[in-house]
Amino acid sequence: MQAPRNPASPWRHVDLTLLLSTVGIALIGVVMVYSSTRQKQENAGLDPAFFLKRQAVFLLLGLVALGAISLVDYRRIRDFAPILYGGAVLALLLVVSPLGTSRRGTQAWFQLGSFQFQPSEVAKVVLILTLAAICAGARGSFDTAGVLTALGVAFVPMALILVQPDLGTSMVFIAVVIAVLLVAGAKPRHMAVLALLGISAIVMIVELGVLKDFQRDRLTAFLDPQADVQRSSYNLRQSQIAIAAGGVAGRGLFEGTQTNLAFVPEQHTDFIFTAVGEELGLVGGVSLLGLFGVMMWRIWRAAVLARDQFGRLVCVGVLAMLVFQIFENVGMTMGITPITGIPLPFMSYGGSAMIASCIGIGLVLNVHMRRFA
Amino acid sequence: MTQDSSRLRLGVLGMVVLSLFCALLARLWYLQVLAAPTFKVEAQRNSVAVVYTEAPRGRILDRNGKVLADNRVVLALVAQREVVEKRPEVLDRISGLLGVPRDELDRRVADDRYSLFKPVPVAVNVPKDKLIYVREHQSDFPGIEGLQITERVYPNKTLAAHVLGTVGEINDKELGPRKAAGYKAGDTIGKSGIELTYEADLRGAPEISKLEVDSLGRVQRSLGGQPAVQGNDVRLSIDIDIQREAEESLEQGLVLARKSTDFLTGKFFLAPGGSAVVTDPRDGSVLAMASNPTFDPNDFTNGVSIRKFAELNDPAGHYPLNNRAIQGLYAPGSTFKLATSVAALKDGLIAARDTYNDQGLYTVAGQPFTNARGARNGLVNVTRALTVSSDVFYYWLGERFWDGRGRYGQAAVQDVARSLGMGELTEVDLPFESSGRIDDPAGRERLHKDNPDAFPFPDWYTGYNLNMAVGQGDTAITPLQLTNSYASFVNGGTVLAPHVGNAVLDRQGQELRKVEAKVVRRTDMPASIREPLLAGFRGVTSDPSGTGFNAFAGFPLAAFPVAGKTGTAEVTGKQDTSLFTAYAPADAPRYVISVVLEESGLGASAAAPVARRVLEAIAVKEGISTAPPAAVNRVVGTD
Repeated sequence: MQAPRNPASPWRHVDLTLLLSTVGIALIGVVMVYSSTRQKQENAGLDPAFFLKRQAVFLLLGLVALGAISLVDYRRIRDFAPILYGGAVLALLLVVSPLGTSRRGTQAWFQLGSFQFQPSEVAKVVLILTLAAICAGARGSFDTAGVLTALGVAFVPMALILVQPDLGTSMVFIAVVIAVLLVAGAKPRHMAVLALLGISAIVMIVELGVLKDFQRDRLTAFLDPQADVQRSSYNLRQSQIAIAAGGVAGRGLFEGTQTNLAFVPEQHTDFIFTAVGEELGLVGGVSLLGLFGVMMWRIWRAAVLARDQFGRLVCVGVLAMLVFQIFENVGMTMGITPITGIPLPFMSYGGSAMIASCIGIGLVLNVHMRRFA
Repeated sequence: MTQDSSRLRLGVLGMVVLSLFCALLARLWYLQVLAAPTFKVEAQRNSVAVVYTEAPRGRILDRNGKVLADNRVVLALVAQREVVEKRPEVLDRISGLLGVPRDELDRRVADDRYSLFKPVPVAVNVPKDKLIYVREHQSDFPGIEGLQITERVYPNKTLAAHVLGTVGEINDKELGPRKAAGYKAGDTIGKSGIELTYEADLRGAPEISKLEVDSLGRVQRSLGGQPAVQGNDVRLSIDIDIQREAEESLEQGLVLARKSTDFLTGKFFLAPGGSAVVTDPRDGSVLAMASNPTFDPNDFTNGVSIRKFAELNDPAGHYPLNNRAIQGLYAPGSTFKLATSVAALKDGLIAARDTYNDQGLYTVAGQPFTNARGARNGLVNVTRALTVSSDVFYYWLGERFWDGRGRYGQAAVQDVARSLGMGELTEVDLPFESSGRIDDPAGRERLHKDNPDAFPFPDWYTGYNLNMAVGQGDTAITPLQLTNSYASFVNGGTVLAPHVGNAVLDRQGQELRKVEAKVVRRTDMPASIREPLLAGFRGVTSDPSGTGFNAFAGFPLAAFPVAGKTGTAEVTGKQDTSLFTAYAPADAPRYVISVVLEESGLGASAAAPVARRVLEAIAVKEGISTAPPAAVNRVVGTD
């Protein structure tokens, strides 16, 4: 290898800050997943480290995927975008067919042995690639037709995900589309219309969710379809109680009573932030959000430094995907956004999301390290 | 699309991202710093369950420290609901082991008196070998634990049952006002007697254990708490030896009466019940308080059975739960002459030497009033009238009081009776006391006004005043009131509230609080009034013509002089009530005793011998006499 002598070699420009913040967050996630499951597992007479082990495996798989993605030049990956897109749509079609597995009223998984694969997670990354490819191709003359094409491309997987139904993931798609079109150079009037549409769609969901109980129930129904009104507001209440109970310093790792005593439902998945809030307190919460902030800053920086529009838009797409998820998920546990079933990237228990998020970071690293090549 | 434009757009995106993160941080700050205190309270309420376990009650002791109510440690099997609900076969095994029906066990497990976090007793008073079996075969009995629990026990069974009272599970009505005092549903509370009056002293502080509980109610760990503190002991003024003698003598008297023929009806006396009360006239201490028929308070400790409860409330059993000493209302008969005599002397209606010729008959408005058993007593003054129980003498006083009502008032005698404590609550420290009533014109008028159908005549006639003067008519008082009125007379006119409690003691036996004698009122009782009456009462037992002479034949009157008054009350539709009140030693009384036997005949025949036996026992106890009291003997008498 002659790489060491080549100043433009991708391996000289790996964004270690981004990589380390990712691994750091994911490791905190593994610990918190353990903290929020060990007591319940123990009570049930099961292996307390069950979820810990699996999440660690997911992280390893994710890091492997991350590495693999960064090996291949992102411009080559761009060529595969149509194929990937087609594959993702097919997977989403199959998952709502009898082949898919349903859990809590949402049909979003393929059962693979003891693991479950959620194609909508990977579809997010594929959509980012596809959108970036389309918008980058339309460089300089981004007209109404271009915007409509982009919207159409996003609409198909989104519609399939809504069928599952998984409103949260669909909302991630909206965020990604808006961010990519914004940076791609959509005309202000297009953006205005789009923003109006998107914001009114999201605001409508949020407002209905916040203001009307029966509508919020519809929103929260896919989290737990058996839930009644009391139950969903109970979740929200318990989640806020848990976070507030942490105070500034937190109760200490593994010491959270709300956490250990199963007051917060779905805690190791969607409500993982409550465990951080209760056990690690404001110090831990701010640190975690700080790490996420560093991660977002590095992704944003990669977008700024990207040598081409495709790379830039990929970074923007990943940024939008992660930011929306972080904001929606953390906001939900603190009661400022409606309860939807979106995982907190790198933190929530779950393999598909972990791998998809790692692939997203892998793509950003890829763009960043090849900005001179 | 220029580079600048792209930079600008990325800048906008960056600002959006930054503001979203700021929003999250702001909210996090709000929740964990600003709103944390309010949420924290909620978090604790959610996760900490407080379990209360009652402390053993304090003991009840007699005046000499003998234990009357104690706690017994019994073996119990308790079940963890969670486990036995999942493993129902465990209850089948318990059912087989103890011979308790399975549905009974299910009912006990479902008993909602017990906290969800506390094991439920499924069997109390388990034989030790059965408990050991369960322990040795613990794997066959998951969720079942053997432990010791304490429960109330009254070692003397029925002795002093009415005084001690009963305990039972607190009911909603009792719980309401006591919630603030820390009572919980399912707690044991005093239901009657001393157990009720001194509840606050006898009840200890419960064991409080704080448990961390998850949202499904499963106990995770203990967070500490405080241990149980047993309640304080209550020492009574009751002397259990005198109490036992009183109860035995009363029972003997009643049994004897049931074997005796009533000359008026030609049948045996029914003698369904009675009461005997002994107090100390100097301080109001109650030394004995017997009520017959009686019951065993142990039957109530673990919840009285339906069958037992029905039995105790069956009219055929003459209501053994009633404490006749404070709830039974009886016409006092001639014992009431105390009040009439005091009133007559006080108002100057007669002087001590004034006499009336008792020819056995007194006629008012053509209506004849006679002495009991038709006795003729000749010339009698007030002293003599008391000794021989001349009704005619008091009819005479009754008429004169009524004729002179313009001067003495409409209720001169009744007012004196009330001032001595008759017809009003004595304020004894026992619950559910009856106030009774003294027959008077105002009362008749009030009765008529309240219920004209039952009482059609509001007017008071001379004849009423005659009956009233000899303790007949509508007057009805409790045995304790009767005792207390004589105590007030012999102690010089001080009406004291009788008290059964003597002191509250801590666990080391130190007095925490003394139950002091409480003066209800002081009445003027000069020697000019007292002396003639004392002489009259003294004659009852010592003068051969005294109504109580036969009953006290052979009693060591010289060493232990007794004075008293017999009474026989006529009750419409029933046999005569037999009454006797006495005090001893007559020159400086330390004991006042009243005995009332329902439907048992003359006071001299039934009640006086019962009182005599109790006083004999007291004399032995005091070392005055050595002859153990003989069995109650029915004697011939005239009142």
